[in-house]
Amino acid sequence: MTHTLHRRGTAESLSKDYALMMLRAMGVNDSGYLPKCQEFLRIALRHNPVNIGSEMKGNIFEFPPEEIIAEAKGDSFVVFDNPKVVAAFLKDLKEADLGLSVVVSGIFENVDECFEKAGLKHHTANFSLGIWGKTEKLPSDDILEITTMCGHAMVSTNLVKAMVEEIKAGRKTPEEATKVLAPNCT
Amino acid sequence: MRIDGDICNACETCIPYCPMEAISMKDDIAVIDQDECVDCGVCQRAKVCPVDCIIFEPADWPRSIRATFSNPRTEHKATGIAGRGTEEMKTNDVTGRFQRGFVGLGVELGRPGIGTRLRDLDTVTRALAKAGVQFEPKNPLTALMKDPKTGELQEDILNEKVLSAVIEALLPIEKLDDVLSALKEATKKIDTVASVCVANRADPDGPYPLRKLLNETGIPYYINGKQNAGLGRPLANV
Repeated sequence: MTHTLHRRGTAESLSKDYALMMLRAMGVNDSGYLPKCQEFLRIALRHNPVNIGSEMKGNIFEFPPEEIIAEAKGDSFVVFDNPKVVAAFLKDLKEADLGLSVVVSGIFENVDECFEKAGLKHHTANFSLGIWGKTEKLPSDDILEITTMCGHAMVSTNLVKAMVEEIKAGRKTPEEATKVLAPNCT
Repeated sequence: MRIDGDICNACETCIPYCPMEAISMKDDIAVIDQDECVDCGVCQRAKVCPVDCIIFEPADWPRSIRATFSNPRTEHKATGIAGRGTEEMKTNDVTGRFQRGFVGLGVELGRPGIGTRLRDLDTVTRALAKAGVQFEPKNPLTALMKDPKTGELQEDILNEKVLSAVIEALLPIEKLDDVLSALKEATKKIDTVASVCVANRADPDGPYPLRKLLNETGIPYYINGKQNAGLGRPLANV
């Protein structure tokens, strides 16, 4: 049970991290799903997202938003950094009634408030019980805060370390380093 | 993944991109350790090689499962979707996969960023089978079991390595404590990590019984997680 569930971070950093996904259920409502996923992205763009993307196409660190929407394939996602915006976006989605499933990840307490403001009820929740097993193999928590942002583990520990060194040496700004890391995430 | 040694210019740019640390320099060219490489495609997709010498050639069985589990832009034939598991709770509003009174269990071995051999997955699936879970039939790993009742995986895949793979199972909520105890013991025997999660349908009046149970029993869980907003149609009767 993947994607954004196991993101690590402090309450402060996670309070600015909301990833939403629209997806079709195979064999149930996957017929003609793509225009709905595209509309989800168009509605998202009205709320100044941090990122949008399409599963088989890519995200805004790889392609312009218009190209992502035009060439969308698979499920769609959007990232916001503000719960008020999430609530407003969810309200728009409820009104649009696109008919595909929407999953919101973030701090439970904050997402609960967003649901309430948007007039939505709890349906199903997924709770992370953390990392078990040989945890001594893991990198430090500050590295995990970056690498676990990609649910598929496409951003390597060594690339994060390399970008930290680049920033420390003044060769890259944090934003430039982010643009090296983010395109690897799918 | 493979690097064409005749073209590689030894710039070393690709090395930090590999999530498995499988790329190294040998005799002034970059080489990929084929046993450690999981065919995730990150090195090639990053497009950082100035001479375009990183190559992916689809592998024969059983190595082919490395790419299907590790590269999220590859669809699993068993599920028809990209990624390592099913839609699980993400579409529960329309599939009704997790009904009230049940818990969905997800155990993703190798995550985050360590990778796993299928043999470690076999250790955990067998332990969970003994604890009485029901494996998700549409999960690609379940399709690789000799028998979902025992959790035993096919022998020819046990040495294959993937970036991660998710075991998905269902259990009655009252069995949660026993199943998590069995899982805890099994994860002591593996040479990797496992990201563990549980999913639950809300009560009609709003709260999640599982959240209450976790709080009461003191089982720690993260402050952040995922919630299905119930916007899918047609709504399942769960």
